[in-house]
Amino acid sequence: MPENKKVAIVVSEETFDKAMMPFIMGVTAASMGMDVHIFFTFFGLTILKKGNKPKMGGLYRLFTGMMEKRMKAAGVENLREQIKTAKELGVHLYACSTSMVVMGIKESDLVDGAEIVGAATFLDMAADSDVQLFIG
Amino acid sequence: MDANETLNAVGMSCPMPIVKLAKKMKEIKDGDILEVLADDVGAKEDIPAWCNRPIMNFLGWKKRMEACDFT
Repeated sequence: MPENKKVAIVVSEETFDKAMMPFIMGVTAASMGMDVHIFFTFFGLTILKKGNKPKMGGLYRLFTGMMEKRMKAAGVENLREQIKTAKELGVHLYACSTSMVVMGIKESDLVDGAEIVGAATFLDMAADSDVQLFIG
Repeated sequence: MDANETLNAVGMSCPMPIVKLAKKMKEIKDGDILEVLADDVGAKEDIPAWCNRPIMNFLGWKKRMEACDFT
């Protein structure tokens, strides 16, 4: 049996689009039988906060609600549903340990199933991966 | 081919048809023929791409994708 293809994604920003992208990509890759590892760092870490609702960047933040409606009309799951689907499909979600301190986020603030790791742990995994994406 | 299982992904945009397809594949039985209905423009390329992955082996499924037919 061939080994699963491995996908490593790094997310460093917190806007609506940058929160959705890793989950859309991650959930798709997992549906294609790949092992998916997503590392959330810096502002990207806030995406893993429970109940977080990311806004669009800059002035576009005013149009976040419209964007959410359009995504819903397009039949795409919202962030909360995507996180749930990602977990069902075995997508690994990593919270950057340093960012936890810098951003003042506690372990209990994170969505269930998120693992707190350092850069070395993620890089060790990413070094053996077939696809690497940076969303930032 | 006469399908005995149907997945209705009409009205869903990428990546939902693929996500639903992957879930559905876990439910259907060996020998079933699955028909996927989708109107996402990308699905026409995405579903064959999904078929190209040796996903059945990965998931330890006995099922085999014989062909992807498009109508």
